Amino acid sequence: MLNLIRCEFWKMKRKMFVQLVLAASFLFPVPLTAIVYYLNISQNKYATKAAAFDALWQSVIGFGMLLLLPCILGIVAALLFFMERDNDTFKNLRTIPITSSQMVIAKCIVLLLFSILFCISSTVASILCGFVFWGVNDILFKVLFSAVYGVLIAVSTLPLVLLIVFFSRSYIFSVMLCVFYSIFNLLSTFSMTALPKWLLFILPTPSIMMWGTQQMASRIAVNDAEDFQNFAQMGLIPSTPQLFLILGAIGTVSLLLSVYLYKKRSE
Amino acid sequence: MSDYMIETHNLTKKYGDQTSVSDLNIHVKKGRIYGLLGRNGAGKTTTMKMLLGLTAPTSGGVKIFGKPVYGNEKKILPRVGSLIESPGFYPNLTATENLKIFAMLRGIKDPRYIKSALELVNLPYQDKKLYSQYSLGMKQRLAIALAVMHDPELLVLDEPINGLDPIGIAEVRSFIRELCDVRGKTILISSHILSEISLLADDIGIIDHGRLLEEESLAELEQKNRHYIHFTVSDSKQAANLLKTVFQTRIFEITDKNNIQLMEVNLPIASITRCFVENGLEVSEAHLCEDTLEDYFKKVTGGEGIA
Repeated sequence: MLNLIRCEFWKMKRKMFVQLVLAASFLFPVPLTAIVYYLNISQNKYATKAAAFDALWQSVIGFGMLLLLPCILGIVAALLFFMERDNDTFKNLRTIPITSSQMVIAKCIVLLLFSILFCISSTVASILCGFVFWGVNDILFKVLFSAVYGVLIAVSTLPLVLLIVFFSRSYIFSVMLCVFYSIFNLLSTFSMTALPKWLLFILPTPSIMMWGTQQMASRIAVNDAEDFQNFAQMGLIPSTPQLFLILGAIGTVSLLLSVYLYKKRSE
Repeated sequence: MSDYMIETHNLTKKYGDQTSVSDLNIHVKKGRIYGLLGRNGAGKTTTMKMLLGLTAPTSGGVKIFGKPVYGNEKKILPRVGSLIESPGFYPNLTATENLKIFAMLRGIKDPRYIKSALELVNLPYQDKKLYSQYSLGMKQRLAIALAVMHDPELLVLDEPINGLDPIGIAEVRSFIRELCDVRGKTILISSHILSEISLLADDIGIIDHGRLLEEESLAELEQKNRHYIHFTVSDSKQAANLLKTVFQTRIFEITDKNNIQLMEVNLPIASITRCFVENGLEVSEAHLCEDTLEDYFKKVTGGEGIA
């Protein structure tokens, strides 16, 4: 499996995947730093410099990791999963023999690594910006927690991977699916209080966001703490076992169906 | 245990209502080149895909090295090299990088395997040219290099000379022959080009509309081909009378008023010609003929010829 994952990276040579993912991770930290900086100057919104940085980091998590990352992962998934189809290399791999499940798992692990890379890189970008304007506390916690986010978001994106494999059409259609998925995540996050609790719990992005905020609450100054308290009182925050169980179930079903469809498509 | 490297038993593949391969029974012997000959769409590629486990048969079975392929892929496929349809590689990589990927997945660590495979097909090692910049012939060569890189015992090559220029075809032909004769490889090769199969194969299977019509060695097929002496004379009826009376034979066929074919090829052409001339016939042609493989192909498929 390790060889298969290494080969997945080799196949991307000269395609600038890693560089583009890294560049995308800087997309939100830079403008969000400017916004937090000017909000702090004009409205004196944050009590301490550390609180200003925490606000920046949470915004980067919200926009960069929870909104943008699934979209990027979807596009990378389309490139990875269509690669064998477009280049007609299925037959070469299957006669080695590499099974469809091995191929799908290797590609999903690559997605997971990209997801972790993006999240850590976003946090590092925020920390760099934070050093310029404010101070940064608890760096190790923030970097490690962003890696946890990377894992959770990668798992939550597996249904999108399933859709991409299922439709198996053009790249434009896949990009449209990714955009739709991100908008759907955004809307479901905004309308959390209006949704039934069971539905909210099976929607991965709001669940990850709420769970993540609760885990961080003791270490950082949480944005909109009052709203968060209300969500907690309404029981909208999943516990760790609940989140892991839901994501585990979503991930497993998506992975199994993706393997089945990928095998069918490759014949 | 069977002596066959590949053996199929009533192999059938259906796509919906359409039958692509029907009750196919092929037998590939060890250390020989087996040519699967058929027109485009005859079912050659589907057969090869089923042999390699790339598509599941609707019914019937495949045995390679005496074991069923399905369920034994991990034991069988590493001993097989294959080229199916068009070459498939990553366009953003060079030939060496492409082979490195497949070598790594096959567990080949020694780069000499890649180097020698590329040298075998006259492609440069560690060249900077990307696969996307390759000509069709170079792509085909790379696909052959991939098939032989891991030194397999059995090669399954689907139309390996597609896209090659005449010199390339001759090179690949002698290279395939050498693989069999010198290195003892067993090779299953498919083609719609009859002349290629007749130049390369030891055994031939003729497939048409998914059915195997003939399976014989090239020597047996050549024996089956009709041999005859062809005469072009001023009067074929008079020539026929002379053959009956002087040479005591009735095994001939008058094709028109000037042409006659004598099937008894051991009769001396010179004596017959002299006899015809002495009896007032003008002889403008007299030569020994034999049907080509193409004629035979036409006969067994009951249709038109092949390229």
